[in-house]
Amino acid sequence: MTKTTDLSRRRLMQASAALGAGALAGSAFPAWRARAAEEMTMWWWGEQELPGLQGYVDEVVKKYGAATVKPMLQDTAVVISQFQTAAAAGNAPDIQFLWNGIYHMESVWLGYVQALDGLVKDDVLKASQPTLLSNYDGHTYRMGWYPLPMIWIYNKDMFEKAGLDPEKAPETWDAFLAACEKLKSAGMSPVGGGIQDGYWGEWFFGHGLAQCVDSPGQAVELFTGERSFEDPAYHAPWVKLEELKKAGFLNPEMSSTELYPGIDLIVAGKVAMGESIGSRMPADSKKTNGKIGAMVMPVFGKSKLAGKPIFDTQGIGISKDAKDPKAAAAFLEFLQAPEQLKLLHEKTGWLPSNNTFDTSVIQDAAVVSMWKRWGQGENIPYVANVVPGQWYEQALLPAGQQVVAGKITGAEAGALAAKVAKEWRDFNPDMVDHYKKWAKDLG
Amino acid sequence: MDQTSRLKPYLYVAPLVALLLFVFGYPLVQIFEYSFKQIRGIDGPWIGFRNYELIFGQDLFWEAVRHNLMLLIAIPIMIAWSLLVAILLYDRLKGWKVYRIVIFVPYILAVPIIAAIMKKMFQFNGPVNEALRWLGADFLALDWIGSSDYALWTVMLLIIWREAALGIVLFLARLLNLDESLTEAAKLDGANWWQRVWYVILPQMRVVIEFYAVISVITMLSSVFAYVYIMGGGRGGPGTSTMVVELYIFGAIVRQSLPGIASAVSVLLFLVSLLLIVPLFAMRRRANEEETA
Amino acid sequence: MSTAPQAAAKATLPPPPALVGIDTVLKQIVLLVAVFIALVPTIFMIMTALKSDDEYTFNKVGFPHALVFDHFDVVLFESPFFAWMLNSAILAGGAVVLSSAVSCLGAYAIARMQFKGRHFLFSASVALMAIPPVVMIVPLFVLYSRIGLISTYEGAILIYAGLITPFSVYLLTTFFRTLPKELFEAARMDGAGDFLILWRIVLPLSLPALLTLVVVNALYVWNDLLIAIIFLQDDAKRTLMAGISVFQGRYENQIPLVMAGMVIASAPMIILYIAFQKYFIRGLMAGAIK
Repeated sequence: MTKTTDLSRRRLMQASAALGAGALAGSAFPAWRARAAEEMTMWWWGEQELPGLQGYVDEVVKKYGAATVKPMLQDTAVVISQFQTAAAAGNAPDIQFLWNGIYHMESVWLGYVQALDGLVKDDVLKASQPTLLSNYDGHTYRMGWYPLPMIWIYNKDMFEKAGLDPEKAPETWDAFLAACEKLKSAGMSPVGGGIQDGYWGEWFFGHGLAQCVDSPGQAVELFTGERSFEDPAYHAPWVKLEELKKAGFLNPEMSSTELYPGIDLIVAGKVAMGESIGSRMPADSKKTNGKIGAMVMPVFGKSKLAGKPIFDTQGIGISKDAKDPKAAAAFLEFLQAPEQLKLLHEKTGWLPSNNTFDTSVIQDAAVVSMWKRWGQGENIPYVANVVPGQWYEQALLPAGQQVVAGKITGAEAGALAAKVAKEWRDFNPDMVDHYKKWAKDLG
Repeated sequence: MDQTSRLKPYLYVAPLVALLLFVFGYPLVQIFEYSFKQIRGIDGPWIGFRNYELIFGQDLFWEAVRHNLMLLIAIPIMIAWSLLVAILLYDRLKGWKVYRIVIFVPYILAVPIIAAIMKKMFQFNGPVNEALRWLGADFLALDWIGSSDYALWTVMLLIIWREAALGIVLFLARLLNLDESLTEAAKLDGANWWQRVWYVILPQMRVVIEFYAVISVITMLSSVFAYVYIMGGGRGGPGTSTMVVELYIFGAIVRQSLPGIASAVSVLLFLVSLLLIVPLFAMRRRANEEETA
Repeated sequence: MSTAPQAAAKATLPPPPALVGIDTVLKQIVLLVAVFIALVPTIFMIMTALKSDDEYTFNKVGFPHALVFDHFDVVLFESPFFAWMLNSAILAGGAVVLSSAVSCLGAYAIARMQFKGRHFLFSASVALMAIPPVVMIVPLFVLYSRIGLISTYEGAILIYAGLITPFSVYLLTTFFRTLPKELFEAARMDGAGDFLILWRIVLPLSLPALLTLVVVNALYVWNDLLIAIIFLQDDAKRTLMAGISVFQGRYENQIPLVMAGMVIASAPMIILYIAFQKYFIRGLMAGAIK
């Protein structure tokens, strides 16, 4: 941007400010208010998926003595665009909530987010489990905040009714199909949930693609053009979904039901198996008296990642506009101190993202066994986190919905995915080089 | 005239001009600039017509345009239904005043509210299908919002339901202003109800019908966001079956962080609405002439 | 029933009985169908809101067997509906006041004063009525992010006020033009200045037009979703429409609860409509003229 356009924009603002001053108090324009030096802003998200987090944030902020932190809960739709636009304008908050993978990597490449190594103590950063997808060019850009084990769940009552072993979820695809068949002939919906809002399809793809790639880097190469979704090896998840649809294993109301109400169907005993997320486990397990079990997606693929539990974390980072990055880092470290970790558990009923957290506070056996496998055992990152936003919107979500509705085949979903991946390269030439480098980093 | 009184009118319009320049003027100039840039965040390099090239080459964009155009199909239905009901109300049968108040209710309810209600009603296991199954019309119990074959039509149904309420009241107002001596004369000549509607009433309604048609075209092309946002799960689903131009712009700026692309589409939508302003102005002038005549 | 208008005109004469024939019955049926269609969603909403979750699973269409008011409790006391409504009311109030003030001054000048650019200003302002709001959001979003106006009432009010102003100018200018010239001349003879004339004479006479304006504009802001979700991203600033778009998704399998929310959300407008239906009908018809 040149100086002159900058100037004219400022003048335009002055004009509109003069205009606003007539009807509104001039002091109401926050941009003109000077901010106190020791004040930090924090834009965060998560109350939407983890009720209680708001109470935790409010209390932590109140407890913190070294600086005043002003939190603002963001709306789901705009978490990234709001941050990026503010950062481009030099107005980013000191501390920003960051989803994993590409959801913050794009901001990293644009220089909006600072590397945390060197700012936050190494051991604290590691213990927070930011996962592999927070790394770029040897630096780590996020600190873990709370974990998201990506799980499948099944209803043990329904398994019992269909004559299946409630303590042993199917592990291979063939065993899974056999179980579905049994459930179906017993008059139950074997698998599904709700895909009206599309996210179910993302999860299915995320679980499925892990079985098709040997590393997250290979998943990234699907977008740089080095690999293609036209290749049956990579559109296999949709082919498997088509298989379930054709066999009549998906619940019939799936297309007009949204994601979370769809998971509730499993809890309510109306669908036997489906995708869920670890943070729901405590509540769902309690509601059913322990009749919800966690499982890994049944294995159809032969890749190195196949069959391993998927572990993701929500995180936070420090923006380039932080007035005092060290002070912001001190606040992040404060969040990882044992008292604050305990507080997060108390307020939300869920776990903080920290592998030194004393898990003996968890009472529920189902949650403990899930946590042992997903949180503490050998896990893999969630590869659906590397997909570009445009591809996510225009290929990933529609493809899942259309396969579930029986409108397109798995192979056609692959063709759509390949086409939109190419469009993404055309629309975002500046991002492609970063993706190529990232693919190498992720192996 | 002295200096101050010559300046006075400008003082009166200054706030108005400033407000319009801020909310309309600045953005309308800026979308042109942005549409020629590859923008990340707030600015980026000039790239000529590349953004336009990209959207013109993209199936999804054309699909969005096609969906907006398909919504135009609703307009004849809206007009026919509104005319029928308005003319029947004009007959002033028993209770017509109460009917008129009730029939306008759809237009009072906010779009997000009725869209949310309709979405529940049209669920696969929702009340509409329950009622259809109960009536024995199982073949009609479609997956109204879950199937990409029907979702846009379901949205259209909702749009017709709401926008026709406006048509009815608009047409009725015109009817109540008609010169009744013409209908009376026709009646004396022995014309039956249909003949009077067809030869006497409808010709006098031409301007208001055209007017309603033009504003409905503007609605279908550029004000269906709230309907689609709620009914299509926020993304124009299922698949991309309810993607429309407004949602495309929304997605490009809010979800894909591509302000340049969003601006290029905004420019196109702006040009289309400019084209529509011409008939709208002509229509309004004729409507005014008719009223004053 | 073709002679009905005549019968209404000559109210003293009873309509001849022979005319209550088959076509009247048919017409009544069509009208009743239209009334039914217009009311179905509202009836469904209210009936469902009064059902328990369990009852809804097996009784989706019929009347509730036992009335359950729990959902209203949840909506009113456990969800932020009041806060959302308050936000919507602040925005609608602020935008209507700002736009009305600016438009009254402007329309008065356009209708009653001679100055260069008067016709252009009026035509340009009228033309803006046909420009869809979505066209303006990209630059405003970028600008607001730069100057920190995202998620502020002031910022959103400014945009809303701008969007509704062309219609206000159109309506007020045409109305001001219909006021008799003598009125102004007499006032001027008494030594009143323009502002005094506007304030003391024109505005009181324009009350019907102003009321129409308030109805149309307040309803526009109250019902808007697009601007609300883009420019008010702070949870605490969420408007009613943005709020229910989230609410309806979050409780999708507690449909009676969602419907209770919709009842609460639509109640203010329905009550106002019943009380002031004349202004609503007149206002929204005028609003359609945009």
